[in-house]
Amino acid sequence: MELPALQYHRPGSLAQACALGRELGESARFLAGGTDLLVDLKQRRVQVQHVVALDGLGELKRIRVEGGMIRIGALATLTDVAESAAVVEHAPGLAEAILTMAAVQIRNRATIGGNFCAAVPCADTPPMCIAYGGSVTIVSSTGDRVVPAEAFFRLPRRSVLEPGELLADVLLPLRKPGRGAAYARFSRRRSMSLAVAAVAARVDLDGGRVREARVAMTSVAPTPMIASEAGAMLAGQEPTDDVIQRAARCAASEARPISDLRGSAEYRRDLVEVLAVRALRSSIERARNSSGA
Amino acid sequence: MANEILIELNVNGVKHAIAVRPEATLLSVLREQLHLTGTKKGCGLGECGACTVIMNGRAVNACMVLAPEADGAEVTTVEGLARGGELHPLQQSFIKHGALQCGYCTPGMLMSAKALLDRVPSPSEEQIRQGLGGNLCRCGSYPRVIRAIQDVGSFVGRKLDTAPHTQERDQERDTMVVGTSVPRYDAPDKVTGRAVYTADMRLPGMLHGKILTSRVAHGLIKRIDTSKARALEGVLDVLTGADVPDTRYGVSPARYDEHILAKERVRYVGDEVAAVVAVDEETAERAIRLIEVEYEELPAVFDPEEALADGAPVIHPENPRYANNVNTRVQWAFGDVEAGFAEADLVREQRFVGNRTFQAPIEPHASLARWEHHGEKLTLWSSTQVPHYVQHMLARTLGIAQGKIRVIRPAVGGGFGGKAETTPLDFCAVLFAQRTGRPVMMTYDRREMFYHFRGRHKQVMNLKIGVKKDGTITAVKFRSVLDGGAYTSFGVITAYYAGAMIPTLYKIGSYEFEGLRMYTNLPACGAFRGHGVPHPRFAFESLLDMIADDLGMDPIDIRLKNAMTPGTRTVNALDISSCELRATLERARDESGWREKRGHLPPGKGIGVGCGGFVSGAGYPIYRSDFPHSNAMIRVYEDGQGVSLHIAAAEIGQGSDTVLVQIAAEELGIPYDRVHMVECDSTIAPLDLGSYSSRVTLMAGNAVRMAASDARGKVLAAAARAMGCSPQSLSARDGRVFVTASPSFGMPWEEAARLAFSAQGPVVGVGHYRPPGGLGGDFKGSTVGTSPAYSFSTVVAEVSVDLETGLVTVDRVTDFSDAGTVINPMTLHAQVEGSVIMGIGETLMEDVVHLPDGSIANPNLHDYLIPGIGETPSSIFTRAVESYEPRGPFGAKEIGEGSLLPMLGAIANAVADATGVRVYELPITSERILKALKDKRGGAEARRT
Repeated sequence: MELPALQYHRPGSLAQACALGRELGESARFLAGGTDLLVDLKQRRVQVQHVVALDGLGELKRIRVEGGMIRIGALATLTDVAESAAVVEHAPGLAEAILTMAAVQIRNRATIGGNFCAAVPCADTPPMCIAYGGSVTIVSSTGDRVVPAEAFFRLPRRSVLEPGELLADVLLPLRKPGRGAAYARFSRRRSMSLAVAAVAARVDLDGGRVREARVAMTSVAPTPMIASEAGAMLAGQEPTDDVIQRAARCAASEARPISDLRGSAEYRRDLVEVLAVRALRSSIERARNSSGA
Repeated sequence: MANEILIELNVNGVKHAIAVRPEATLLSVLREQLHLTGTKKGCGLGECGACTVIMNGRAVNACMVLAPEADGAEVTTVEGLARGGELHPLQQSFIKHGALQCGYCTPGMLMSAKALLDRVPSPSEEQIRQGLGGNLCRCGSYPRVIRAIQDVGSFVGRKLDTAPHTQERDQERDTMVVGTSVPRYDAPDKVTGRAVYTADMRLPGMLHGKILTSRVAHGLIKRIDTSKARALEGVLDVLTGADVPDTRYGVSPARYDEHILAKERVRYVGDEVAAVVAVDEETAERAIRLIEVEYEELPAVFDPEEALADGAPVIHPENPRYANNVNTRVQWAFGDVEAGFAEADLVREQRFVGNRTFQAPIEPHASLARWEHHGEKLTLWSSTQVPHYVQHMLARTLGIAQGKIRVIRPAVGGGFGGKAETTPLDFCAVLFAQRTGRPVMMTYDRREMFYHFRGRHKQVMNLKIGVKKDGTITAVKFRSVLDGGAYTSFGVITAYYAGAMIPTLYKIGSYEFEGLRMYTNLPACGAFRGHGVPHPRFAFESLLDMIADDLGMDPIDIRLKNAMTPGTRTVNALDISSCELRATLERARDESGWREKRGHLPPGKGIGVGCGGFVSGAGYPIYRSDFPHSNAMIRVYEDGQGVSLHIAAAEIGQGSDTVLVQIAAEELGIPYDRVHMVECDSTIAPLDLGSYSSRVTLMAGNAVRMAASDARGKVLAAAARAMGCSPQSLSARDGRVFVTASPSFGMPWEEAARLAFSAQGPVVGVGHYRPPGGLGGDFKGSTVGTSPAYSFSTVVAEVSVDLETGLVTVDRVTDFSDAGTVINPMTLHAQVEGSVIMGIGETLMEDVVHLPDGSIANPNLHDYLIPGIGETPSSIFTRAVESYEPRGPFGAKEIGEGSLLPMLGAIANAVADATGVRVYELPITSERILKALKDKRGGAEARRT
């Protein structure tokens, strides 16, 4: 199965890229790492005549701490992100999530922006970004906007991006004492296997109680999603096993899974509960260890 | 072309400026434009890792890099690993540790390993599992890959070491070459990218063909319009059912039921309808999309039990014998089963369901055909396990004299039964080459492989076993309904095998078997490692454990109680010659610490046992003939410095070339490196039936040994003349010919060989092998299951089950096999390890799933999950038990298929031990385990209230 005939465009600037995106509309796709797009093109799941390659946009490959947050360029590869000193220090949960994904060869090409923009229901980077309270910047010729990570997804394979818009950065907050995050993922093979279900949790502790917690999930709804009630349930609580269990059950009830090859809806709901407990426990454990650090 | 883009690439230190099509991938540039075919294409979708190269210091899948994106990149491919004629330490370590079998994934493995070592010079096992998680190996060489990477330091600054691996020995021996772990014969070519697989070949003027397949599961072809395809620039020819012979083909002569292209009816989504040949693959692919086919859709049936029901759609209405979709019916009764059950103290019956699993070799099927001498001579290169049957079937179906057909088998990247029959690719390539006068290459892509299928039959089984209180089996009744798919393929034999092998492992007093192989509107099933037997064996080993549990017996004890013994004629008239099943059970029990573990493990940890075994070659050929099954020639070089071995046996990764070269060297009395295997080519090697039914070591091995003995006799005769003694007084060993009684009197082997040539011209030895006559009983189907010898093995599997998610991890496997005398311990262990890995996949992960329209939901390696390096147990302990098979060469018998058979039961039993629940349907997925656990808890709660 080979690629269809394509016109290849390689804009040299963000403005040019946006302009091309708007001009070519539905007949084009932006090409970042290509690990999703090339598969979709080969399988004719996506049928376009043009690809707009973004690899000339060097500024979108950078990862830096700036303005009190980590700014991860959308074109940073998953390997770059997982190995970035800033990410490892401030958002280690994201590195943990990335290392569960696919395999080295894919992570060396795939980008965090691509993982967001493909907007598949099983994307692994969004839940952790959501749990951290991250956001994304979207640029276009008419101006930039910042959208919370959880608000980026609309439908399977459909984000809020409009023609001519580009995802530029993923923004994450800096570390705080008393913060812990963890990613619990279930897949049927250790590498090169999509999540059957996965839960990202981030917990901020304050004197033995939860100040704030966020729980997000993937592969259990049409899009990566926040389990806002589960997170809210934990706020102000002492994180006992019972509290964690109840929050996990809540997350399971918030999930909207379907049955497919990888698992039934019922099984996925069961998994969310188990994974939420595990992610929350690890987060709390890590939060305790990070107190005062 | 107009929109080509000029890119610069530095590949292996050489700069290239190349014009590429925008839609080209780095993989196609490397393979098609730079002719670096060491980088393999396994899936084209970034799923298998066979095309891994290092680009700008990082491992990437070359199929996932758009060529223009590689502009300016530095790329290292497998061809760039060896420098200045010296192999890279990694390559040497892979050779020494036998970390490759078919070799198709090897270039990608090596590049991932190189990228890992460049970052982490001494990686831990966990880091290796992480670093190579994207490289799938269907031969299951993972444990050896891990060892080879960890041991790479031993090879830095060293020359290639070809001495046998000394730590792999199992048995004492008095042979020089046989019994040693010499490096694989094909390893140096496979670690350098030099090994040529069919799809790597390029001939001047070569065209590419593609096949259009049916999108409906059952229908009549009303109209085919090929005009748009024919009009496409670059298209040379189109074939439809009207252009192909009316002769049907297949595997089993009793049931030839396929046309090269569908004549009027299509019977499954994927049935071949038309084919196109064009200047390149892309054009051919575009052209088949332009063919319009109008179908009258018919009701379809996808379930084998439903296919049997009255009123089910009839899939082969043209032949009244298949009116109820029964392709094959087997009815056997041996002994008085009712009396056996009456005599039993305990009778248990259980339904088990198997899974449709796919061989999924990493190398896709490929065929290349060329006509020469104005159509008088045809050459076909094919990625096949059975060159002879391909030759036979082409001759028969196309009406060409067999002598005009030359079949060459280049390196084959794994088969496992999936390349054991003539494919539509073979036929269409030949027809197109004939019609266009140009060489034609045809390949399946990964998806097409799944639709061509020929994978494992799913069996729906009902098994009933009766035992005495002491565990003695008194009677067995077995019924299996096999989902055969739309055509027969090997299926007649599969249905017989399903029942024939049951009585070979344990002594069974009376036995009844009913097998029904059903046609369904699904891709045809065929022969897959263990042919027809793994599901029945899974059922039997599971039920035996359930019975042992009821009796309060240890599962190993109940097996020992009934274990087969040497020199037994089974109830279904199979003659078991050598048999050390008891020894495999006892040694696996002791080595695994069974007694300390069984019944003493915490919840979530389990240990289980399973046994298995298989034929060492089928006793009868697939089509009736009196030809010897294996034939070999050995030609001694004129200077005596070595010999060439001419045999058409099929090395497909299992290591058979290595074993045959060892046998030849041993018998000739010369070192291993003086025997040269000649390319498998029907014009230079005599008939051999190929690689199926685990036949090569025993059958081809015997033919080679006979040929070597013949050649040695000629050399010794010449030496005897020169030395003035009788040939009988001489021996040949390790490159010397000498007087047996006083070894210091002699001469170099090559000198004796030169004398032989000088005296009489060509020194050629010939040999052949045919199985003993009269194998089997005199009932219908009694030939299936016959063999000169049988293998036996026991596996103890230890697992961890996450009781919250159902996830199973196989931690430790202990395998003891009776494979007769071992010719090469390293390749034997590699085969067993591969079976362990494949067994994990078949038992826990693999299942081809069909959608309601008959299409496949998971026709790719991303959704059809085969085990990766991460699924490799942290410990696999394999040993051969001492055994000597009188009918085998040097006492050897098979290992490749028999070693898979114990795995399914062993894992199933270990999971049951760990969880307290049993899953009766394969694969035993985490979801099914969790459901069984919930059902059990629900049941317990219901009982309390």
